[in-house]
Amino acid sequence: MIPSVVLQANDWAFVFANADYLLGGTVVTVGLTITSILLGFLAGFPAGAIEVYGDGYLQSAVRTAGVVLRGTPILVIMMLLFFVVSISSSAFVVATVGLGLRSAAYQSQIFRGALQSVDEGQIEAARSVGMSHRQAIGYVVVPQALRRSVPGFQNEFTIVLKDTSIAIAIGLSELLTRGQDLFLQGGHSTATLEVILFISGIYFVLTFVTNRGLDRLDDIYAIPSGENQ
Amino acid sequence: MSDLLRVDDVHKSYGDEEVLKGISFEMDRGDVDVLVGPSGSGKSTMLRCINRLTEIDSGEIYLDGENVTTPDTDVNALRRNVGMVFQDFNLFAHLTARKNVTLGLRKVKGLDKAEAREIADAQLERVGLLAQAESYPAELSGGQKQRVGIARALAMDPKLLLFDEPTSALDPELVGEVVEVMADLASEGMTMLVVSHEMGFVRSAATDMFVLDDGKIVERGAPTDLFENPEHERTKSFLQGLNSAHGGDG
Repeated sequence: MIPSVVLQANDWAFVFANADYLLGGTVVTVGLTITSILLGFLAGFPAGAIEVYGDGYLQSAVRTAGVVLRGTPILVIMMLLFFVVSISSSAFVVATVGLGLRSAAYQSQIFRGALQSVDEGQIEAARSVGMSHRQAIGYVVVPQALRRSVPGFQNEFTIVLKDTSIAIAIGLSELLTRGQDLFLQGGHSTATLEVILFISGIYFVLTFVTNRGLDRLDDIYAIPSGENQ
Repeated sequence: MSDLLRVDDVHKSYGDEEVLKGISFEMDRGDVDVLVGPSGSGKSTMLRCINRLTEIDSGEIYLDGENVTTPDTDVNALRRNVGMVFQDFNLFAHLTARKNVTLGLRKVKGLDKAEAREIADAQLERVGLLAQAESYPAELSGGQKQRVGIARALAMDPKLLLFDEPTSALDPELVGEVVEVMADLASEGMTMLVVSHEMGFVRSAATDMFVLDDGKIVERGAPTDLFENPEHERTKSFLQGLNSAHGGDG
């Protein structure tokens, strides 16, 4: 139960009066999610493939990087990149790199599992018509593995979207930061709950819509199966 | 050197266990030879050594007079000439029946879409599945899947077709349609090396039957001769076992 004294009409009016400001933060949040997921995919997919098919130093390096990234809190990664290594003065760029690398480490595991789940017989069949190992992987294993990655990817997408809020720690003007800007203004501390509820609603709508979108993608690319099996 | 296939003293071990202990045989063009023998006798391993899905330890294998077991043999080129049909079908799960057949034609032989499609449709028709060309593997019965597998191998126009227990994963009522396709190929002159215990196929289509036991060919001969006058004790007991297992219909 939320006490009625906490939720006040004038606080809500304050929130809606600043809705544009919060929606501006939403645009940053969505943008950061997209760049981070993209970087995560571009680095994570090859990393997953190297874990399955690679060998030698490259494979060990990829594995080690994954273990380190998965074992470090995202807040620590981000602060390290911004305040210590200072890879860029742009908080957006730093947040993209931090979230993107962390996501790559997780996405690599999604793809690794998906690649390994494709039956060895599929490769043998491809090789038996004369395809090279690379062709067999590219034309037969990867298309099946990508489809099997969708549920795990969906999960990862949701996590990255919500974790963009951690960029508050390096001052990026995304949704949560802008919410905080509002209730920290003098005389508006009573609107804290209203602001947080409002931005939570935005996060929820974003995750809900993208999940539905990915469900659709899953349906469209699902491999048809009849009842004969 | 006029044999299509010559296998010469092939040995293969997995760890300490030697599964092929010096196998030698040869096949002429148009021969349909069947490898039989108890489970673990090395039949499937022998087959897989011919298209080098499994590498031999020693010995030589010649296809059309050419040693295909040298280190600089182009295995992809070898496999274009040696088709394989698998026990578990191994159809590409994400592709329709037609695309299962065209993939190799497009990516390995470099044919354009129309040419590949023409060949695929001709081969699907040959196995009686043109109407299912747009179906995915999961929408097909086991017998249909295996016929697509045969069409896929045939489309590459191989000199030799290997069949690795093509009917053993099938429900009994689906075996007939696959055996029928294989018998048609045999009568059309396709050179086939088959691991199978389908004695109906062996009797009607096989040129020779090789009996493998413990990594060696213990007896070789025309099926009728082996069924009627098996010389080797192993052949006798093996064939008897098959007959009783198949309710005497062998």
